[in-house]
Amino acid sequence: MRKIAVLIAFSFTLTTYAQNFKFGKVSKEELQEKFSPIDSIADAAYLYKHRNTFFNYNENEGFQLITEIHERVKIYNKEGFDYATKAVRLYKNSSDEEEMAGLKAYTYNIVDGKVEDTKLGKESIFETEISKYRNETKFTMPNIKKGSVIEYKYKIISPFISKVDEFVFQYDIPVKKLEARFEAPEYFIFKLNTKGYIPIMPTTETKHGKITFRSKTRSYTGTKFSSSDLDFSKQVSTYNLSDVQALTKEPHVNNIDNYRSSIKYELSYTKFPETPIEYYSTTWEDVVKKIYDSNGFGSELNKTGYYEEEIDAIINFISDPKKRVALIFNFIKNKVKWNGYYGYMVDEGVRKAFKNNVGNVAEINLMLTSMLRYAGLKAYPVLVSTRGHGIPLFPTREGYNYVVSYVKFVEGDGILLDATSIYCMPNILPFRTLNWKGRVINEKGNSTFVDLYPKHISKNTVSVLVSLDENGDIEGGCRSIKTNHNALSYREKINGVDKDDYIEKLDNEYNGLEISNFDVKNSAEIYKPIQESYKFEKESQADVIGDKMYFSPLFFFRETQNPFKLEKREFPIDFGYPSETTYRVVISLPKGYKVESLPDSGVFQLPDNLGTFKYNVSLANNSIQAIISSKINSPIIGAEYYETLKLYFSQLVEKEGEQIVLTRI
Amino acid sequence: MNLKYYVNILVVFTTLVGFSQENLYTSFSIPDNLKQHANAVIRQQSIDILIKSADEMIISEDRIITVLNKYGDRNIDAYVGYDKTRKIKDLEVLVFNDFGKEIKKIKKNDFKDVSAVDGGTLYSDSRMKYLEFTPISYPYTLRFKSVVSTSNTAFIQSFMPVDDYLISVENSSYTITYPEGITIRKKEKHIEDVSLDKEEHIGKLSYKVKNVEAIKLETYSPLFRDIVPKVLVALNEFSLEGVKSKVENWDDFGKWMYHDLIKDTHDLPVSTINMVQNLVKDETNNIDKAKKIYQFVQDKTRYISVQVGIGGWKPFNASEVDKLGYGDCKALTNYTMSLLKAANVESNYCVVWGGDDIINIEEDFASMQGNHVFLNIPNDNEDIWLECTSQKVPFGFIANGTDDRDVLVISSEGGKIKHTKKYNPDESIQIIKGNYSISTDGSIKVSAHINSKGLQYGDKLSLETEREQDRHYKNRWRYINDISINELHIENRKDAIEFVEDVSFEAGKYAKIIGDRMLFTINALNRHTNVPNRYKTRMLPLKLSRGFKDVDEVKINLPDGFTVEALPEDTLMETKFGSYQTKIELKDDTTIYYKRIFIMNDGEYSKEDYDEFREFYKTVARKDNAKIALIKK
Repeated sequence: MRKIAVLIAFSFTLTTYAQNFKFGKVSKEELQEKFSPIDSIADAAYLYKHRNTFFNYNENEGFQLITEIHERVKIYNKEGFDYATKAVRLYKNSSDEEEMAGLKAYTYNIVDGKVEDTKLGKESIFETEISKYRNETKFTMPNIKKGSVIEYKYKIISPFISKVDEFVFQYDIPVKKLEARFEAPEYFIFKLNTKGYIPIMPTTETKHGKITFRSKTRSYTGTKFSSSDLDFSKQVSTYNLSDVQALTKEPHVNNIDNYRSSIKYELSYTKFPETPIEYYSTTWEDVVKKIYDSNGFGSELNKTGYYEEEIDAIINFISDPKKRVALIFNFIKNKVKWNGYYGYMVDEGVRKAFKNNVGNVAEINLMLTSMLRYAGLKAYPVLVSTRGHGIPLFPTREGYNYVVSYVKFVEGDGILLDATSIYCMPNILPFRTLNWKGRVINEKGNSTFVDLYPKHISKNTVSVLVSLDENGDIEGGCRSIKTNHNALSYREKINGVDKDDYIEKLDNEYNGLEISNFDVKNSAEIYKPIQESYKFEKESQADVIGDKMYFSPLFFFRETQNPFKLEKREFPIDFGYPSETTYRVVISLPKGYKVESLPDSGVFQLPDNLGTFKYNVSLANNSIQAIISSKINSPIIGAEYYETLKLYFSQLVEKEGEQIVLTRI
Repeated sequence: MNLKYYVNILVVFTTLVGFSQENLYTSFSIPDNLKQHANAVIRQQSIDILIKSADEMIISEDRIITVLNKYGDRNIDAYVGYDKTRKIKDLEVLVFNDFGKEIKKIKKNDFKDVSAVDGGTLYSDSRMKYLEFTPISYPYTLRFKSVVSTSNTAFIQSFMPVDDYLISVENSSYTITYPEGITIRKKEKHIEDVSLDKEEHIGKLSYKVKNVEAIKLETYSPLFRDIVPKVLVALNEFSLEGVKSKVENWDDFGKWMYHDLIKDTHDLPVSTINMVQNLVKDETNNIDKAKKIYQFVQDKTRYISVQVGIGGWKPFNASEVDKLGYGDCKALTNYTMSLLKAANVESNYCVVWGGDDIINIEEDFASMQGNHVFLNIPNDNEDIWLECTSQKVPFGFIANGTDDRDVLVISSEGGKIKHTKKYNPDESIQIIKGNYSISTDGSIKVSAHINSKGLQYGDKLSLETEREQDRHYKNRWRYINDISINELHIENRKDAIEFVEDVSFEAGKYAKIIGDRMLFTINALNRHTNVPNRYKTRMLPLKLSRGFKDVDEVKINLPDGFTVEALPEDTLMETKFGSYQTKIELKDDTTIYYKRIFIMNDGEYSKEDYDEFREFYKTVARKDNAKIALIKK
């Protein structure tokens, strides 16, 4: 691999040409380039990507955050036309908003051997108010053809000085040259957070800055003008990258952005002259403290008055702590419904959520934590980043987007709780939250980690009784018992659905299975496992060829495809939770046939106890018994195991496909 | 609380009061037949449309809906669109728990206000107010009231009491009132099976339906809009963004569109006109000229959707597209038309319901219809249809977008309904010529030459530019595990409208080895594995909207040291839905020829035919999985 990299680097030097990055200086070579030397199948590429973010002092507004953007994009083919439209998001709140200024843009084409430019006109710029919190300016470039180069620059003026957008260094298309600069006065102390696979190091320097204040005083002697200067230093970081590969997606990746190279400037604290230091965040402790101290979190946790009466009534004669947890958990799941919004901060507040019976994640789970504390339990909120939100790699407040609850018992054991779904159980959190580690916050605002990936196995145990007839058709009964996450997802799927509709769906999932006597037990009793049972019929489940019959003992239940198809993989394989599926099948044979051969029994094992597949088929009293189980012990498996895992699944699929042979007597 | 007692009280209350409005705020009063398969029940809906004049209309809506489960939440439809000409006068929602008690009241200002741009549009000036609502428990009832006024009367909301699957309707009414001097037209569709009350006087038209049971979505059925009752209404004199017109039939409508919206937009600069004339100067017939111009448009432009004011109906000027190099369907169609005109090739602007679903413009009812615009070139044998928003499709190719449907063709003389090209199964053919060999270890080695035309050409077109082609093939042959692709060559023959694939791959363990035997499925390259859904009672007619034909000819080399123990039988099945034929010929000890022809016809059939259709597909799936048994010599 390294050899290839050297080779590629070498070929770059052959194809590169001097580029001029001044606005408007697009070269003929750039326009004539047929494909990207960095990635020959790229649809488009950034030839130049420049960003400069700095602070500016304005006497009326105070400090403002200015970001200047200058980008030059090459479009290689029609699939790349999407890059000729640019959308710029502008944030706002009720009093302030970001503003875009100084947009200039051109499209360059080669016409009859000459470079021709077309200016972006007003008619191609569109401003939309997307919502209360977001405006958007979009522009689409004129005269786009295969081979066009577009160039634009603009400025964003932001009043939100603590909100510096992430510096992203890797995109879905390659970047030829990237320059980024960040400049902050000494009053703003930022912390740098880096992620991704590309090594990125800024060069830093200290520069001098000055603000001049003018003031006007009126007295009986007349109006007097005065000015005073404030000198300060500023920290400048610059980044220079070239030939950055595109980031391509792979299947079964939890969230591709976890791997995208970027740097985030997180405001740690501000320290203005003659003003006390104001902390934002630097370490996880700071982040947690800041969250804990903010209005939408800690103080909400401490409100109790709104529920005391009702909780008193519930726990009145119960002293067992675990029973108290169960009662309160149950109470809140039934009382307050989740409105679908994430967040660790309350939206309308716990009191209102309780009254209206509707709340966001924070309102529900902070309320839960508070009630548990009120009932004398050691309960703590736990900050979580959901699977869709990525893994919180650095200490930032944006690293989290969700909160659950943790209860620690005197015996030392603890449980995690999430009351946003009626089907959640203690330690069985919704799939969306099964992502790495959460932060448990104690009463003083200090924190520790808790593993969010479940350790207990979720099981699906299926018992099947089948009778096979001489045409190869089967009929029988099936009963399956599902626990933990398997039960949770089953409940989410089946509850509220018309039973007949579900049966039809199941029919079709197994490609025309004919189901009768369908029954589900414990669909509402969440502390018991799900029991599903039905009778079935299905045609052509064995091949009848000559005087032989061939079939797999799992029939339509068997895995027929390896879920892993790619040759190689860079990112971990994320199953979410450990699981085990076991089939116990008893097959009675058609009259006039006997067993000629059975597949060998066998066991396959993944290294480091990551998983096991067991296969056992035997003959007893003219019926065949098969016990086949597969188990994955770890919720997440590193990419270094990919080839082993792929082979394991390939063996599993093959073994499950092995045939029993019957012969006519 | 003693729930049973409470319910009893309620029932007594019900019988006493009869059908009072309060009674509709609880699910207890829903008749059983309306609960079946229903996620929500529209208890009572009234739509009142008041036409004050040709450019003033007020639409009042009052709807009470009981939502029975979480899947019904999406049917509360508590939103209103607005823009510069469409104003929201009144908007309110009341929510009731299942005992009929009001638990929430939401006013206009508590609705979320967002831009109503869909994903494919760059900009639109339409906006929307919608209610974000989390129910506390099911069932619940929601009452939605809105009053909207608009100066556009070109669109009159239809009466469509059932607007989704799994929704039933207890009572729904629709009234349109209009002043003297204005006349209306109407068209009633699919009203045979509902109890519809109609009242018609001068100045007023109203409809009422009640007791419409929920419809369940079934596969291979007609489109929802072709099943449910609907009344279309239009004014003979209407206004659109301040422009008034009189329309009684498609002819008038076409004239209006041509003269008011299209005619003035053909303003190409002289330089472009000269360029086009120069471009086609060597071509002798119109079709070749059009081909060159179409290619020019495909190279020069791209599709960008912008919807502003009357611009939503009127195409951008051709000069604008000439300058910017982009436009929406109207702009690009109009631009192509202008270029053709410059080269003296006649073409017509056409309005169509575009998309995979085949929807006709109502032949006998002139009104604002359609969602897309494309181009028609009249031609003696067969008209040519041009999709002007694609940079990729071949000249005249319209499969899976605007094929086989009635469209409105507009010219200076007026509007006319024409039917677009239909792709017959014989034209939509895929031919596989291939061979494979099986080794003694059960592995398979395949090489195949695949040629696709018609609809099947369209299906493969995106493959040409797909980044990860390997994955596509691994998925196409997903029943073969661990495929590794050795060679892959794809050719899009745009002129001939043929897609050619040459693929070779191999995979281990294709054949199962059982003792001295070897077992494998003879059809390795084109297996039909899907069986249509089974329904205990099929409710909807069977509809197959498009057909196709597959021909496979495969030579199979058997491994050394084995001989054939058993071969699948030849098959010949002819049904009204299609036919299926396989022939297996043992050439010598090591060679088999396999031939398969599978034809699927399009057509409409009764619901009683569904089981037979499913049986046909089921047999095909079974036959496609038929195995050969080999035994060691």
